[in-house]
Amino acid sequence: MNGGYTLVICEKPDAARKISDALSGGESRSEQVEGTTVFRFNRKGEEFVVCAAQGHLYGVSDPTGERTVYPVFDVEWYSSDLVDEDSASAARRISAVRKLALGASKFVNACDFDVEGETIGYNLLRYACGGKEKSALRATFSTLTEEDLVRAFDDLKPPLEQGLARAGRARHTIDFIWGANLSRALSQSALGSGHRYRTVSVGRVQGPTLGFLVEREREIRTFVPVPYWKASGTFERNGMKLMAGYTRDRIETKQSADKIREECLGREAVAAAVRRSTVMVRPPVPFNIGDLQKEAYRAFGYTPGRTLQIAERLYLGALISYPRTGSQKLPPSIKFRGIIQSLGRIPEYTAHAANLLKEESKPVQGVKSDAAHPAIHPTGERPKRSLEVSESAVFDLVVRRFLAAFGPSARRELAEATLAVGEHEFRLAGGRTVFPGWMRYYGRYAGYRDVEVPPVSEGDRFRVVGVALEEKFEQRPPRYNQSTLLEKMERKEIGTKATRADIIATLVRRGYVSGENMEVTDLGLSVVETMTEYAPSIISTELTREIEGELEAIEGGSRGEAELLRETVRSIVGQLAELNANEEVVGREIDSALTASVARSFVLGKCPICKTGDLRVIRSKATKKRFVGCSNFSSGCRASAPLPQKGTLRTASKPCERCSWPVVYVAGGRRPWRLCVNPNCPGKGKP
Amino acid sequence: MEALRQPQLPGKGEAMKCPICGRKAVTDLCRYHAEAEEKVRLAYPLWVKAYGNIEWKDFLDNVKRNPQTGQWAKEIAELLRG
Repeated sequence: MNGGYTLVICEKPDAARKISDALSGGESRSEQVEGTTVFRFNRKGEEFVVCAAQGHLYGVSDPTGERTVYPVFDVEWYSSDLVDEDSASAARRISAVRKLALGASKFVNACDFDVEGETIGYNLLRYACGGKEKSALRATFSTLTEEDLVRAFDDLKPPLEQGLARAGRARHTIDFIWGANLSRALSQSALGSGHRYRTVSVGRVQGPTLGFLVEREREIRTFVPVPYWKASGTFERNGMKLMAGYTRDRIETKQSADKIREECLGREAVAAAVRRSTVMVRPPVPFNIGDLQKEAYRAFGYTPGRTLQIAERLYLGALISYPRTGSQKLPPSIKFRGIIQSLGRIPEYTAHAANLLKEESKPVQGVKSDAAHPAIHPTGERPKRSLEVSESAVFDLVVRRFLAAFGPSARRELAEATLAVGEHEFRLAGGRTVFPGWMRYYGRYAGYRDVEVPPVSEGDRFRVVGVALEEKFEQRPPRYNQSTLLEKMERKEIGTKATRADIIATLVRRGYVSGENMEVTDLGLSVVETMTEYAPSIISTELTREIEGELEAIEGGSRGEAELLRETVRSIVGQLAELNANEEVVGREIDSALTASVARSFVLGKCPICKTGDLRVIRSKATKKRFVGCSNFSSGCRASAPLPQKGTLRTASKPCERCSWPVVYVAGGRRPWRLCVNPNCPGKGKP
Repeated sequence: MEALRQPQLPGKGEAMKCPICGRKAVTDLCRYHAEAEEKVRLAYPLWVKAYGNIEWKDFLDNVKRNPQTGQWAKEIAELLRG
């Protein structure tokens, strides 16, 4: 249609507003179409209308729509509101795009430039705009700053090869076929065993990830510690006392430990030369999303999912670049000096920026790259609104990491002195930063401590006035936390940078993992055990990684998606056959784990009043409201407490420190909140 | 002398159950407790070497009490202790 406007499709409403403001110089008019906000303005004599999706507006499902039917391979793309009850606004947004497409003569896909963004844009252009996916132009940008957006729209790209969209659509289709068939088979087998329906899900990446957790859980629960000893000596010379550890960190037998004490105590120790060395510590490489998630967990304890959400908000506020990137490289095209100069206008960074601007320096680069986006970096813009505490924290981390990348290597001096007592040696070791270099910019995140070595010279003689032996036990392996699990997924190359955090959250939501410390539940153990026995490829890392490789080949255009889909279907048919052949026993095992998990989910902890009963979640027959009551009610215990009526409850691993009543996390809003169920807890109302 | 242990008798058409947790038994224990039992037994000579000497029962008591011991290993130590 000639004379129509250019319809720009964005991934999120905030991005639509930013793009409109940037291209119109703040002169765009907002209007409502089908209850959604769109923006209209003129630019260089051309009329633009900017509308937005809200994430995926289309999803894969099967025409039956029945969660009990399987196998299903004949899948289609549907409006998301039909496949996911949480996406009620999708129909409205699709309807708005459809209406706007009628008056458009040109289409621009301005969704995030990655697999998911490309898929979102492709689907809208194809289904809501009447097949415009092959003719729409592409706006590519890595930040939502005015400069970047104007450049992107001045240099719109011709329709892309669509490898990203094809790979994205193939991923969604494969994940649906995989997850729906196997989850339905498992849920049905449990149903056949007498349990009421409950989803027992297993996904293509979820299965192997749960497998990692179970493997670690087995190591932890079967762990038997072996004793060993550590020795340290107290040395005295001219009134100066110092302590040094025995050079062998682990003494295997008590007999050897006693012998060390016997042969050293009261003897003379002679200091050998103090060995000093200087090491250069290079700056950490720029952040990709995985590195940012791990660092935010280390520095603030934020889960990967939370960090991603915060980073996306900072991106939509044009404060940082696009966060879902795998790159650890900062290309000169982002104009380093300009960003550093702008950051210099923020008081916290003024001195650092001035320092860095004194000379021309290049940032350190990591190994990983991403064709679509550079490493995460600040844009240089100042926050236009007051940031939440968590947003400020992540913003500060991103800024400091960026500045640190330009800093020179730090220098640390390491010192080590040995005190010899006959054939035994004790060691003093320390280190200090003599030139902070990049650490000055990275601040408290740098994480190096200075430990001074006492003044000791070669030939100094000391009296051994004490030898302490400490009985130790081997430590069992640590449980994964959300950060180390994410790292493991990255290392094993399963999942994508955009989906890993969601997969971890799903494992918690499904009840396969409980508590803050990612402890695998009996249900999680049972699912993996059953899969290992009857359909091992479901939890096979190799198969999942192979598929990831194939999807990357589709992205690059070297492979077709139809072939991969056919192979996936063949693989699933085989796995379903194995599960079906053992349906009864699989059902029994899953059912017994489900029963145990449901029973446990109602017990919050021991009753602090009668000390013998369990505090349980009970639903009143009269009011239908839930509350806490003691299982010893019939024996006279009247411990009870009200509970929030909305939200899912999850018991914390430890009871309340103030009153010993159970603590629960209530999930339902934006973030779970912590609640001691005792209404009379002395900690209530105190910060 | 170790305590005698009996796997739980199965219901009709069911597999033998682990006497500790009720999971399907692979020998007389489930796979998890069987693995834990193997580790407990393998650890004993290491404890004997470490302390010079330690009685089997004392070893089991210590394993059971140690906060580093895994849950399944503790349950096995308790079962073996009788």
